[in-house]
Amino acid sequence: MKERRWCTVVLGAGVLTFAVVVAATALSASDTGVADRHPVYVGVRVCSECHADAVSGHQFSLWRVSKHAEGYASLWTAESKKIAELSGIREEPQEAAACLGCHATGADAEEWEKEEHFHVEDGVQCERCHGPGSEYISREIMMDREKAMMAGLKMPTQRECMMCHNVKGSHVAIIGSSVFDPTEGMKRIAHPIPDSEPAAIAPTKMAKDAKAVKHKYVGVPKCGECHGGPMMNYQFSRWRQSAHARAYAVLGTFGAYETAGAAGVKGNPQESPKCLRCHSPGSDLAEDNFLPGFDPGDGVQCESCHGPGSEYYPEAIMRDPAAARKFGLQPVGNKTCMACHENAHGREFDVEAGMRKIAHPTRPTETDRHSLGPRYKTPLNLALSPDGCELYVACEASDTVIIVDVATREAVGEISTGGQPTDVAFNPDGTLAYVTNRLDDTLAVVDTRSRKVVQTIAVGDEPHGVLTDPRGKLIYVLNTSADSISVIDAETLTEQKRLPASRGPWSLSISPDGRRIAATNTLSRFVEFRTPSISEVTIIDTERAVIEDRVEVPGANLMQGVAWHPSGSFAFVTLNRTKNLVPMTRLVQGWTITNGLGVIWRDGQVDQVLLDEPDMCFPDAADVAFSPDGRLAFVTSSGSDCVAVVDVNKLIQMLNSASEYERAHVFPNHLGKPTEFVVKRIPTRNSPRGILFSRDGKTAYVANALDDSLSVIDVDKLEAVARIDLGGPDVITKVRYGERVFHSADITFHRQFSCHSCHPDGHVDGITYDIEPDGIGISPVDNRTLRGILDTAPFKWEGTNPSLQRQCGPRLAVFFTRIDPFTPEELTALDNYICTIPRPPNRYRPLGGKLTPAQRRGKTVFERTTTNDGRVIPVENRCATCHFAPLFTDRTRRNVGTKMSLDRESDFDVPHLNNIYDSAPYLHNGISETLEEIWTKYNPYDQHGVSNDMTKDQLNDLVEYLKTL
Amino acid sequence: MRSRSRRKRITVIAALGLAAGWSLAAKASDRVKGGALATGKADATARPVAQTAQTPELPYVYTKWEQFTTKDGLPNDHIFAVKADGDRVWIGTEDGLARLDKKTRRIKYWKEEDGLPWQVVAAIDVHPGTGDVWLGLFGGGLARFSGGRFDHWHQLNSGLVNDVVYGVAVENDNVWAATTAGASRYNTVTGEWSIFTEKNAPMEEIWNYGVCAADGFVFLGVWGSGVLEYDIERGTWKDYLDPDGEMEIDLYRDDGIVHVITTGVSFVEKTLWASTYFGASRYDGRHWRGYFDHDSGLPSNFSNAVQGRGANEAWFATDKGLGALMDFPTDTWVTYTTDHKTHKGKALVQRGSEVIAEFETAPNIPHNYVLWVDCDGDDVWVGTSKGLGHAIGEGYYPGLKVADRVTMGPRADERTTGRRAIP
Repeated sequence: MKERRWCTVVLGAGVLTFAVVVAATALSASDTGVADRHPVYVGVRVCSECHADAVSGHQFSLWRVSKHAEGYASLWTAESKKIAELSGIREEPQEAAACLGCHATGADAEEWEKEEHFHVEDGVQCERCHGPGSEYISREIMMDREKAMMAGLKMPTQRECMMCHNVKGSHVAIIGSSVFDPTEGMKRIAHPIPDSEPAAIAPTKMAKDAKAVKHKYVGVPKCGECHGGPMMNYQFSRWRQSAHARAYAVLGTFGAYETAGAAGVKGNPQESPKCLRCHSPGSDLAEDNFLPGFDPGDGVQCESCHGPGSEYYPEAIMRDPAAARKFGLQPVGNKTCMACHENAHGREFDVEAGMRKIAHPTRPTETDRHSLGPRYKTPLNLALSPDGCELYVACEASDTVIIVDVATREAVGEISTGGQPTDVAFNPDGTLAYVTNRLDDTLAVVDTRSRKVVQTIAVGDEPHGVLTDPRGKLIYVLNTSADSISVIDAETLTEQKRLPASRGPWSLSISPDGRRIAATNTLSRFVEFRTPSISEVTIIDTERAVIEDRVEVPGANLMQGVAWHPSGSFAFVTLNRTKNLVPMTRLVQGWTITNGLGVIWRDGQVDQVLLDEPDMCFPDAADVAFSPDGRLAFVTSSGSDCVAVVDVNKLIQMLNSASEYERAHVFPNHLGKPTEFVVKRIPTRNSPRGILFSRDGKTAYVANALDDSLSVIDVDKLEAVARIDLGGPDVITKVRYGERVFHSADITFHRQFSCHSCHPDGHVDGITYDIEPDGIGISPVDNRTLRGILDTAPFKWEGTNPSLQRQCGPRLAVFFTRIDPFTPEELTALDNYICTIPRPPNRYRPLGGKLTPAQRRGKTVFERTTTNDGRVIPVENRCATCHFAPLFTDRTRRNVGTKMSLDRESDFDVPHLNNIYDSAPYLHNGISETLEEIWTKYNPYDQHGVSNDMTKDQLNDLVEYLKTL
Repeated sequence: MRSRSRRKRITVIAALGLAAGWSLAAKASDRVKGGALATGKADATARPVAQTAQTPELPYVYTKWEQFTTKDGLPNDHIFAVKADGDRVWIGTEDGLARLDKKTRRIKYWKEEDGLPWQVVAAIDVHPGTGDVWLGLFGGGLARFSGGRFDHWHQLNSGLVNDVVYGVAVENDNVWAATTAGASRYNTVTGEWSIFTEKNAPMEEIWNYGVCAADGFVFLGVWGSGVLEYDIERGTWKDYLDPDGEMEIDLYRDDGIVHVITTGVSFVEKTLWASTYFGASRYDGRHWRGYFDHDSGLPSNFSNAVQGRGANEAWFATDKGLGALMDFPTDTWVTYTTDHKTHKGKALVQRGSEVIAEFETAPNIPHNYVLWVDCDGDDVWVGTSKGLGHAIGEGYYPGLKVADRVTMGPRADERTTGRRAIP
């Protein structure tokens, strides 16, 4: 093999560096307990050392002109952002694991797994398909295919292609990409090594310009260090997608040989000074004109137009235009372009059009800015300042808290607090407001005078409810996804301890005497398979900041809102009573999901009553508040857009006059009782959630989540008398419309429930359902999260629904809703919304973050091909065969030996594993409460991967790794 | 949850006095003057039956005891673990978890039918911040009792290495479990389980008996592997093995831990106390000191557990009584035993192997087979094979005091009228 001339310049040094880096890597790997020979990514530039020239068939150039090379760069585009949005990805696509898993190479690798010359920005490079190359990259090994494969070289098949090229609904929706033909795809990227060097190629020796210059070329990767990402409007990615970036590579194509030949160039165009003058400016210079990192193979790069950058590239200089010019940054004008483009290949060149084509402004254009849809507010919860003058409204979609002046009923301020603000509370003197950011796992502290976030601290997973104790000394934050309560010292803003909640702690309310806090938990505790739910109200002793009691609420789930009665004798909680043990088709008997209130007495006794009436249900009771005099309780129903007015005395009297039997067995399910204590239902706007009363009790305010507004209720009139606009967009997009459909119970018989009732906020309710109409409990299935499901078709545990349209279409009406199905318009909108449900970033490992030793060992277990005693694990029974990145599903149905007596099928859909830790229970019927049980209890015959040879510590490691996916 | 209150019953309260001619005679007579005991056992008046003239300083001797058995509301008399927790005492028995309310003297208990995940509670620790009670279940794994709810981790549903748990200790956000197949560490915040066995710790045997955590360290008492010290910050291990190997005699005195078959560990005031089946040890980071039944007040070499009260005081639960090293510098011990035939108790004060005072008392510990001991302020709780003993330390003092200033428990009249004496 011949070496390119710059190999000695760049890669010669690079190989040396590589050796050092590999040695260092091995050392650090040893330190962390990883085998020394663990492969690392070396990067396409190292591959190109041998795979670039004509003898190798210009393989490097063929890759460079391919879409694969632009895989990462393409993620900057508006289309990519739309796809990400449609997939519920809130991060930049260039920083999202789900995107980079297919658009780049080794994006999830640890730093030590990436050699110095490896750049994730190089997109889908050699090692994406052939595996990390450190162990097989040497010439000696690579000359022997068998030896190379023994050392880790993979020769991908069409199956590997399909791991990324399987049809993705998100991509189809935005760019209309069609079904991928792997055979054609393989042809398109074919890069065979020619049997012999083309006879026509007689390399022309390039004449080097021995003249050394003061300014040296640093190479485009150095420029890209500052000019990538949204802050610089993705300049690097824009260049990478341009013809300029491919300028050198195209010289290795067959067409280039023809063009060059026609122009009188003999031999390899990539070695022709005539071609390289414009296709790789600078490559004609002597070696000491380059700094390490400059690769002429990058074609027409930044310095081709702006001049060699060794003197001006430092950020401090670049931030001063005059200084940059002084140090060599050249202005670019028509002459710059025309130096190469004037009559190039006999074609005219429109300079202005060309300039527009390669424009790379540092700020987004208007078009860029408006490429995404409007941003809604989605107010969820609100708090009234202690002086009663201002409302702070936590707005999930806009990542802000909006301040409403109570007197003028106008929004007077908006504060960015973090991702998905969910709840807000004031300290006792009102100088500070605390805001939970569910997406970011943080608590933002807002100075109410300056209306600025003064500090943000980390809390647990998906914080929801927040409240302080009466003195404002401690802040309680409910970590909904971690099932815990953070207790934070308000003065130091340090977490003192975490208290164990139940599952999905949601909202808080403090007793009038300040001694107890009641916290609702939205998910039932784990219960025996196919037994009724048991939910919990967690009682906190504020004196000692410990859990004092756990009140069990049998048969209930989705307990969310909570409020203490001013007397302190009891608290109300909102709840659903989901009859998941009977077929969903029993909806018509009023026996699927009922909605109501729990009365939590101070001594721990519990009563439950419904707010449904036989022909008018009260779906998704979300929040509750008492009037200051304790006479009324207002309860929001996000599924029917109304507020129920409960006469508290009537309700309590009804309970007190009833028998124990009635209270325990009749009232919790009695649809006729609400008429005795619900005095009115007040219509609101879309999806009312949080509610509170003014200090004087004359007014109540309701956060209309899907109307970006507050409803103002006159308590005397029991009417909504005003709407406070929070400033959301006027237009209702298809996604927003779908969100409303999702949260509305209009689709079900007697409005019993909405999609949200089983998939609260798009996630799970943790319950196993009997969906089939047989009536005898056949095929119970675990409820699955909707987060990030778009590209995981087919749907349903039995994998029988190829699309969301099918999943949510007429079938839904037959099995669930028992009423007219969604209209086509509703269905399309609904599917659009479901796809956009945000998926939180992984809590156990940021993208590319360092794995813990246990996680690293677990990764080895996940990827293992042999058992502990050396037996080869069949390919079909390896973890990574069915669960491969980035979604960790092969989207097929598999028999993993989990069929039980109630199941019709033995093959079940392979679930994706993203954030698998937050959607327990597991397996198709939810029988496995923990990840461990999947293998300790439900894999007796090694059908769900080979696990029975594993030691306990290996299983622990595997579980730790799974949590990082 | 069922609530079972029982009237407290004080079985016997020891009475104590000193013989005429001794410097404390006058005070002792004051104590005796109080008259009848709560139990009405007039013969319980204590008197020294042996003394030496060379005892100018004495340790505190617990003379006031109360006992709790199933008659008082315990679910079972086989007491494996005791943990004082503020106003409450948690008691692990062979068949249930019990909680004694110190103020009301009421005992409430939980058995399997009440939600306790496993009947045998072998170890208890309390998280100082959350107040949650962690239970080591002998054969049943690990449980947390929080706000009235039991949460259960075992080797099938979690990363716990084995269900036979002998010891449990809370360390920051972690909970350690000493099991028969290694030690497990559970991070209550991240949910991560770690296992420590011969693979990643200097654990020659993996049968872990005891565990304690304090001052940045975790100590494991391992059957056959001595004591293992885990530096929390560094994540490193250090082992303490018997230089004499597995020999059951101590060839060279104080050259290391007395034996590798370790049953209990306690680390307090930077001093490690260890109990073994062949004696006991103290280590101050520089010097080892070994104790045996023939040269100290240790009632037996077969020690089930140890609880250090400080650098100079430790209590040993043995199969032949309760031994308390009350003053390390002078090697002064008090040994508590009960004669199960006569139902009389005895407190023996020793300096090394020399008996310097002996007192007959009413029964002190419920049974001489002692499995656990826990110091609780001035008081001491003792788990035995036939009930729970409570040593009431009114007037307790650490170390020694000159004899004429010694207070040896409350006066008898106080005992008959005091809060604890209500029958």
